[in-house]
Amino acid sequence: MDEKVYGARCKDCGKEMYPAHARCPECGSENLEPLEITGEGKVLTYTDLYALPLDYEQRYLRLAIVELDSGLRATGQLLDEKPKIGKRVKTTVGVVRKSGDRKTHGLQFVPL
Amino acid sequence: MRPVAVIGAGMTKFGRSEWPLLKLMNVASLAALNDANLGDVKVDGVVVANMGAARLNKQTAIASALVDRLNLFPAMAESVENGPASGASAFKVGYQAIASGMADVVLVTGVEMMRAVNNLEVTDFVASLSHPEAEYIYGVTLPGLAGMFARLYMERYGVTREHLAMVAIKNHANAMKNPYAHIHQTVTMEGILTAPEAVVNNPPIAEPLHMFDCCPVSDGAAAVVLATQEIAEKLGRQVVRVAGIGQATDTHAVHERPDPTELTAVRLAAQRAFSMASLTPQDIDVAELHDAFTILEIAESEEVGFFKKGEGHKALAEGVTSLGGKLPINPSGGLKAKGHPVGATGVAQLVELTWQLRGEAGERQVENAKNAFACNFGGFGNNVVATVLTREG
Repeated sequence: MDEKVYGARCKDCGKEMYPAHARCPECGSENLEPLEITGEGKVLTYTDLYALPLDYEQRYLRLAIVELDSGLRATGQLLDEKPKIGKRVKTTVGVVRKSGDRKTHGLQFVPL
Repeated sequence: MRPVAVIGAGMTKFGRSEWPLLKLMNVASLAALNDANLGDVKVDGVVVANMGAARLNKQTAIASALVDRLNLFPAMAESVENGPASGASAFKVGYQAIASGMADVVLVTGVEMMRAVNNLEVTDFVASLSHPEAEYIYGVTLPGLAGMFARLYMERYGVTREHLAMVAIKNHANAMKNPYAHIHQTVTMEGILTAPEAVVNNPPIAEPLHMFDCCPVSDGAAAVVLATQEIAEKLGRQVVRVAGIGQATDTHAVHERPDPTELTAVRLAAQRAFSMASLTPQDIDVAELHDAFTILEIAESEEVGFFKKGEGHKALAEGVTSLGGKLPINPSGGLKAKGHPVGATGVAQLVELTWQLRGEAGERQVENAKNAFACNFGGFGNNVVATVLTREG
């Protein structure tokens, strides 16, 4: 799968960020380059969302914020039958939303 | 800057409205104007707080429409859209107009008609304030963000589902004394948590949050009339002075905050409001906090400075924040039970506090309240407005 998720890295001070901003949150530089969001980390928190949003037909949607080993955090879908705060996971990219014919790719966390 | 006072307050009953959007606005506005009893004094500014009329009701430029219906020509008028903080933002705009000398009397009306569309549509409408690429695409909604916030908060500070239920029980009990509240239903610990049927009565929405941890979807409008303190005194009104307003922002994506359990914008907005008012959190007699989710009342009560971090749930359990306690929080019933028509909420909080300061809050009156505080929480804490009102004399 060639879809990837990107944040940004500041080419002046090296600050990494996700999501990307138009200016570096650290030094204010506009000189930013894309940074692929990938790797391992641990679950900071999660929820099982039963009040489903538009576009989802399932019993619930398991969402999480993960703290990556790089220090960045990311929100995404947690594909884990036994979720727990602090549990080790890694990023994958998959279809996170289907709206009509349009498929959106994004981060899905799976246990190590 | 000129001192500014609230000289009129009014609202519609929150809930499911039989009236169209504009009539909701008219009714709340007229209630506030009649309360202000302006006589020959003219309204020269109108600010409307609203988040979703363009999408939910297919109506735009509603401040101009309100001026027309109330025959307030040629008052200057605009709408303010600032997510769920639209109400207090609009109040701030009205305050600024008077304090700066651009206007003398301003009508601030908040309105939302959310039940015009189905639940999925309204959830998606509110979710559209989340980060489009880093949150929304995953199916993140406001309850989803609140669920993740609650789980981490509970783990870190020893808050339990029982504490969350105490917020709901307290605010529903307060709403029983508020004829304007959306929900008039007494809630018990057995009914929503401990009895076997609680599983059915109180289904999960975004674990660990259940239905009775979440505010309802409401229609409603609320309005205040602001004027220079000079005009307020001339009209012979009990002066409720706008003592302080503070506002602060935070990151769009919640995960980007250094500590996602800290509501930094709440803390900074409150600090700014208290500093402007030359008051401290300990001076406050009554507060309306933005309990769109039960966990938020606890977290905000700490961030604004009423209690130390991690102590809010203890104060709640001890009854400090109940009516009759040392610092009643959400005597109106809060968003939880009074309802949450998003654009109206921030104004309705200030309507309640005006009534409290004037001694007009009926059965839910906080005795001899002199200083009042409101927190109107936008986004998931990325734009927050805090207001301090003070009774003169």
